[in-house]
Amino acid sequence: MPFFKTSKTAQFLRRYFLAGVIMALGACSALPEAERTDSRDPYEGSNRRAFAFNMNLDSAAIEPMAARYRQSVPDRGKQALENHLDWARLPATAFNSTLQGRFENAGLSILHFAINGLTFGLAELTEDPKEVKAQDFGQTLAAYGAPQGNYLMVPFLGSNTTRSLAGSVVDSVTNPMGFVKAGSAIKTVRALQPPTRAVVFRASQFEAINDVKYNALDPYARTRALYYQARAGRLNARTGQPTENKATDSLFESFLEDPK
Amino acid sequence: MTPSRVLRNDRSTITTWPKTSFVGAGILPRFALGISLFLAAVMTSPLSARADEQIQSANRIIDSMILDIEGYLISDGNDIESRTEITKHILDSYFDLPSIARFSVGPYWRSANSAEKAEFNRVVRQVMIRTIVRNFDQLIGLKFSQTETVSKGEKMVLVRGNFIDVKGVRPPISVAWRVVTPPGGEARVLDIELENISMLVTQKQENIAVIRKNGGKFSALIAVMKQQAGK
Repeated sequence: MPFFKTSKTAQFLRRYFLAGVIMALGACSALPEAERTDSRDPYEGSNRRAFAFNMNLDSAAIEPMAARYRQSVPDRGKQALENHLDWARLPATAFNSTLQGRFENAGLSILHFAINGLTFGLAELTEDPKEVKAQDFGQTLAAYGAPQGNYLMVPFLGSNTTRSLAGSVVDSVTNPMGFVKAGSAIKTVRALQPPTRAVVFRASQFEAINDVKYNALDPYARTRALYYQARAGRLNARTGQPTENKATDSLFESFLEDPK
Repeated sequence: MTPSRVLRNDRSTITTWPKTSFVGAGILPRFALGISLFLAAVMTSPLSARADEQIQSANRIIDSMILDIEGYLISDGNDIESRTEITKHILDSYFDLPSIARFSVGPYWRSANSAEKAEFNRVVRQVMIRTIVRNFDQLIGLKFSQTETVSKGEKMVLVRGNFIDVKGVRPPISVAWRVVTPPGGEARVLDIELENISMLVTQKQENIAVIRKNGGKFSALIAVMKQQAGK
């Protein structure tokens, strides 16, 4: 009998995902504009409470696990696991790229998924799989002009906007990998992907996240600023081109026009 | 619509225009000569000469700074005092610290009095030194490889490239140096973008959040930063 009963693991994760979303939405109470530290964040009070919860979770579980992962897993093993996690997202990227009319990215995703699938995504057999720009349903909504909505800090899931959170819910039910019939071992691997992804991401950004957590003037505000810029970077990313960030450029241009 | 000037890493300069869709694009070849003449005029205009000058001065300062940093990293002895001295030299020689301080508080700069402004400039420098020294180890083993230089308006240039881990363990990090190039003045670094995240925009949003949380008081930010610098 496997250590994890697959259906129970999946149920456990789903329940916590839903609990996180419900807690976030249930705890929301909008602040008046004058009391916000950022106009995009009307639920700052409940968002800060969710952030404190996530930081406690990080200190209790994710940070120690990421530290152990960094110390004990050899570089090749880390690389293989990161390759696999990137590879597992390619069908969703192909699906969303197609919906957005970004056919070059969709084609590249399918190509890399098919070829690297020979090793279950553990080895990179293709020339540059990182050239594929990851796409989720939140980005598809953005491509169709859906407004970004408000900033939401969700327990367990971290930073989101209303649009990206709606996209995550759609992604969790439309991921093409979910429709493939698989045995219990594969189902277990799938169910373990989200928590594994959290630990691997934490490990890969260990110093940067610790710097925000322990040294920022306001870790919550810094996390929000980083999230918005990282998200804009993903939305603006184009295959084979440097990412243009016109919003940031115009901030600096107007500052230089009138530095006082 | 303004052209953006691009200097690629082979140091050849081209002028690129934002993509435009034309009605009757099929007749475009007839106007090829006219377009060529127009582009030639644009490329030899005073505007173009200014863009070339901007690009060259931004490249010069980044090349010089990277040479300095690489030299220091080779001889690094993991000693906090010497790392602090190196960092002070790099910041004072290549960065536009007064503009960084001013940008980082947005509209609240106007609400500060001159004593607060002077104090804030001093604390910003201290915090930057502390942050760089704290993260110094992460720079070791990285090499900067420039890919292109793009002018952004008449006063700013973006020098793009990647930090590459010489051992190949860490993935490349895309970096863009935002360089201020005032006409007749010295080029200076204003901002660093890592993986499309501007360090200065991040700091600005955090600083503004601290000020607003404290009822719009500029002095509260200085107090929090001093506490941070003294940690």
